[in-house]
Amino acid sequence: MSFRSIFVISALSIMLVSALPFFERSEGNAIASEKQETALTMKADTNHLSGINLFIARLYNEDRVLYATMVTLVMAVLGTFLAFVTDLILKALGLEVSRISHRE
Amino acid sequence: MGILNIHLPIAGIEFSVLLLILIGFCVGVLGGFFGVGGGWMITPALNIFGFHMAFAIGTPLANIFGQSIGAVRKHHRMGNIDWKLGLISIATSVLGVEIGSRVILAMEKAGDVGIIVRWCYVFLLSILGVYMLYDYFVIHPRIIELAEDERANHIPPGVRGATRISDKLHGINIPPMISLPASGIDRVSVWVILSVFLITGFLSGFMGVGGGFIILPVLVYLIGLPTTIAVGTSLVTVLFTAAYGCFTYAVKGRVELVAAFIMLIGASIGAQIGATAVKYIKGYGIRLLFAIMIVLAAFSVLTEQLYKANANPLFQTFAGIVLMGTALAMSATIICKLVLQDRKDRSGRNQELDV
Repeated sequence: MSFRSIFVISALSIMLVSALPFFERSEGNAIASEKQETALTMKADTNHLSGINLFIARLYNEDRVLYATMVTLVMAVLGTFLAFVTDLILKALGLEVSRISHRE
Repeated sequence: MGILNIHLPIAGIEFSVLLLILIGFCVGVLGGFFGVGGGWMITPALNIFGFHMAFAIGTPLANIFGQSIGAVRKHHRMGNIDWKLGLISIATSVLGVEIGSRVILAMEKAGDVGIIVRWCYVFLLSILGVYMLYDYFVIHPRIIELAEDERANHIPPGVRGATRISDKLHGINIPPMISLPASGIDRVSVWVILSVFLITGFLSGFMGVGGGFIILPVLVYLIGLPTTIAVGTSLVTVLFTAAYGCFTYAVKGRVELVAAFIMLIGASIGAQIGATAVKYIKGYGIRLLFAIMIVLAAFSVLTEQLYKANANPLFQTFAGIVLMGTALAMSATIICKLVLQDRKDRSGRNQELDV
């Protein structure tokens, strides 16, 4: 069996197996969601937070424009980086793309 | 659901990392392949699994922005992007997104906005899906039959009447007119294009979607682009509207950064795989898969709506299964098609070399 087949089968298996436990929602989430459903708080609760979570929550509470700028930049940088890495992996697997004909 | 749960600091809830990556991956594959952002799937999925609707609308836009970067690059390399059309559309789409997001914020003050957004989803997805299926099974065979008939009887093409909506729209003569050579369109009114993208931008902002699931059928059926070019061009619009949507929703406090970050890991990988698969599937094949997918998505959101009305948890579980099942099945179909077709191409090339 080729490396590509193993890669695809593994990806599919991971997708299917990891999907199974998720069709039930935890009670905690349901309650938290219901609370927010009635009154969406505009401030993140910083109690019990530490590290990066605390930093993000504080930034969210204190400077929304800076928070938005950080969100946009993080998404752009991570998106570009992951696209580059995935492209390299696909190339290594022989799935390189070039100009295609447009067939209907 | 306890394993691999993470606390999301902005939304204030616990959520599974694996579920976020899985949603991201499926949305990435579908996004790269169909030229959609995938917000139409992430928003209901996140809402079903516990996100408040406002976060479920804003967070996907951040994820869509990140995943679209790599997919656009890949489609550009395949020659699937009409940059002229894409760039014309951006300003109008952004204006539409802003109007849509302001409308949703105003409605939020008046009460629960989720119910309206979900009904809009059901309506739009159903209309688009049913029309695309009708086109695939009825209109397209009829056009092929007519074309063959014209060839056989030596009738000039188009004399028997074009049945495509795009041909009628190309006939609207409101200057200025432009040509789109990359898409094979000789003349179309700029106003037609601007109107179309203003509406899709509004829907994007209103429903928190990148707009692709509306833009793709619009580009194919209203503007008349070949499907693969519609996929790539749609992604350009999705990229820019999602970038703007990401920023504006984050300023309004509606983006959960940690969730978007985790989803993007799966989404970026999926988007590259999806975009590569376009190389192997014909235009009408893409349309058929897209139509099936959005009809099932509409059904899922309708079931969720029934849950909200009856508070019967069975409906919600069913909605989740349909949504995730559709996304998983469609992603698996695309990946399998990619692998099988690639294998076929390789064996064909090897045989040629042997000869």
